[in-house]
Order: sequence, then C-alpha cells, then structure tokens
Amino acid sequence: MAKARPIPGLSADISYAHAAALTIEVRSEELFAHSEGVLDTQDITRLHAMRVSTRRLRAVLEFYAPCLPREQLRPALKEVRRLADALGARRDPDVELQALTQFAGAVGPQDRPGVERFIEGTRRQQAEANADLAVALEAMVADDLRGRLEELAAAAAIRAGLEDQALASEGTQLR
Amino acid sequence: MKPGKVKNLDPDGSLAANAEKVVSARLDELWSFVPDVLDPANVEELHEMRIAAKRLRYVLEVTAETCFGPYAVAAEKRIKRLQDLLGEIHDCDVQYPRVDALRRELEGEAASQLREMAQGSADLDPGLVASLEPATEERGLVTLATYLRARRELLYDQFVAMWNDLERDGLRARLKFALSERPDAAAGGLAQTVGGGR
Repeated sequence: MAKARPIPGLSADISYAHAAALTIEVRSEELFAHSEGVLDTQDITRLHAMRVSTRRLRAVLEFYAPCLPREQLRPALKEVRRLADALGARRDPDVELQALTQFAGAVGPQDRPGVERFIEGTRRQQAEANADLAVALEAMVADDLRGRLEELAAAAAIRAGLEDQALASEGTQLR
Repeated sequence: MKPGKVKNLDPDGSLAANAEKVVSARLDELWSFVPDVLDPANVEELHEMRIAAKRLRYVLEVTAETCFGPYAVAAEKRIKRLQDLLGEIHDCDVQYPRVDALRRELEGEAASQLREMAQGSADLDPGLVASLEPATEERGLVTLATYLRARRELLYDQFVAMWNDLERDGLRARLKFALSERPDAAAGGLAQTVGGGR
C-alpha cells in the first residue's frame, strides 16, 4: 500500500483552517496521481492505491469539515464517497479472486469444480464493478471533482487568512 | 455508523488543539464497541468497529507525528493492525453466506431433478437419489465454506487476543495522554504536555 505523503508546512501550532488547506491539497494530488490504469484487472495494485487515497481524502474532508463551507463540502464529499464506494466494490472481488485462486490450487481435484463455480460468480461481480467504476471515473471528471477540491482548499486558506495561498491553490490548479 | 459530531472545534484554533478533541472522540467511539464485539456472533458490531478504527487511524495518520506525543505514532500502527484484522474477519463474514447460498442453489437444482424423476408419485423413492449426477460442485462449496468458517474462528481468536493486548498495554489511556502532549521541535522530538511550560 502506498504510504501517505507528508504534508509540507504542517505543524501543531498552525491554525486548523490552515492545516485544512495544506492537507486537502496534498491528499487531492495523491488521489489523482493514483487514478491511472485502475480499470486494468490484471494489475489490482493500482486500484488499491487509488482506493486508499480516496479513503484518506474522505477522512481528511470529514476531519476538517468545520473549516470548510458546508455548501461546497457536501457535494465534494458526496462525490468522493461515490468514488470510494465504486473502488471498494471493485476491490472486494479483486481480493477475493486472489484468495480463491490460491485456495483452488490447494484443494484436491474433487473439490475444485465447486470452487471454480464460485470463482465464476466472483469474476462476474468484478466485471460488473469495473463497469460501474468506469462510470464513476467519468463522473469524477465530468463533475470536476479536482476543481471542487481545489476550491475547498482555497476556501480553507481564505478562512485561515491566507489569501495568497488561496490564489495559489486555485491558480496553479492541479489540473 | 456516522461519526459522532465533535463539539467546540475552532477553525482559528491550533491544529493540535482541535485534533486532540477529534482523536479523543474517535478513540472513545472505537472503545464503545466493547463488550459487544467480544461476542463473535455480533457481525455488524465488528464491522462498525472496523470503520471506527479506520476513522481514528486516518486522522492519526495526519496528526500523530505533528501534533502529539511519541506514543501516538505507535498507537496509530497498532490501530492499523486492528483495522486490518477486522477487515479480514469482515471478508469471511461476507463471503461465507454467498458460498452457502450457492451451495443451497445447487441443492435446490438437485431437488428439482428428483421431483421430475418422481413424476407424480405419491412419495419420493429414496432409490432415485442414486440416479442423480454426483454433486461434485456442492462438495467443493462445502469445503470452501468449512475453510471460511475455520479461518473466521481463527481470526476472531486473534482479534480477542489483540484486543486484550491493547487493553493490557493501556493503549487508550496512553494515547489520551499522548494527545495532551505536544512535540517539542527544539528538543528533537521530545514531547511536553500542554500547559507544561510551552
């Protein structure tokens, strides 16, 4: 699992709102950095990395909620949750197939047909989840999740009285 | 379960002061599942405890090293292991009923075959069972279900042992204390308690 990136500038004494701006920016970058190739079921580590990034981002959005404008946070959080759900729904069969394949190799020939039958069902589940994930990834782009997250980081910076950082968050754009 | 609302958070206050309140609340939420989770049949509570562990862990991931005393980092690692173990138990809890459902589906198909063979007889001749195709797939599913059940029991025993270790080591009290400490950058990472000369 990819380690969480450190948050430059984070310290105990900075304001909660300032920390929100710094953290959301880094966790958003992490999410989009891991968004490539996640529909490839041959390499399940990519999806796992993006899923963990989504969980981290969701956790920090919830943690910093008091520093963020509710009307901007709610739709962004909803979108992140939707993405997390879609990634989780693909991850479950990924993990299950890995374990089942190992199990099928370990059991005797008389047990294998039943295990294979169950594996077929898990493969179907993986394919369906992958199709749903493709839709969620398209929605992530269409709904401009990246832009929403940048706006949230900028709003937190403004709340902290850091207008320059707010401009940097929205101006440099992670796009 | 939604995370409980933490009161009196202040965007203008320090990160550490706010994080202390949030982590403390999330820690209490994690502990609120005891003693319910000490009954292996409480599948839903075990699942919710995993989510509570995840929430606590991810907040600590951002704040432990930056805001609190050194024990917070050690606590984060132990909570991650707890979350992982609860995740594996949850996987068994989700998979077992699906395996059992497929086995029952096959059993239902075989029962329909027998009914067809009976062709309106008043009772079902036990001898017809011998005419059924061997239940090869059912056998593998029974084996898989048995494996999942045994693995779940094993993992649950590990969970109880892990939880007892956390209690014995006083993780909750030690983490609460670490939350009241602040890293002292000047002393190279040594911590000092809030109000203790800072």
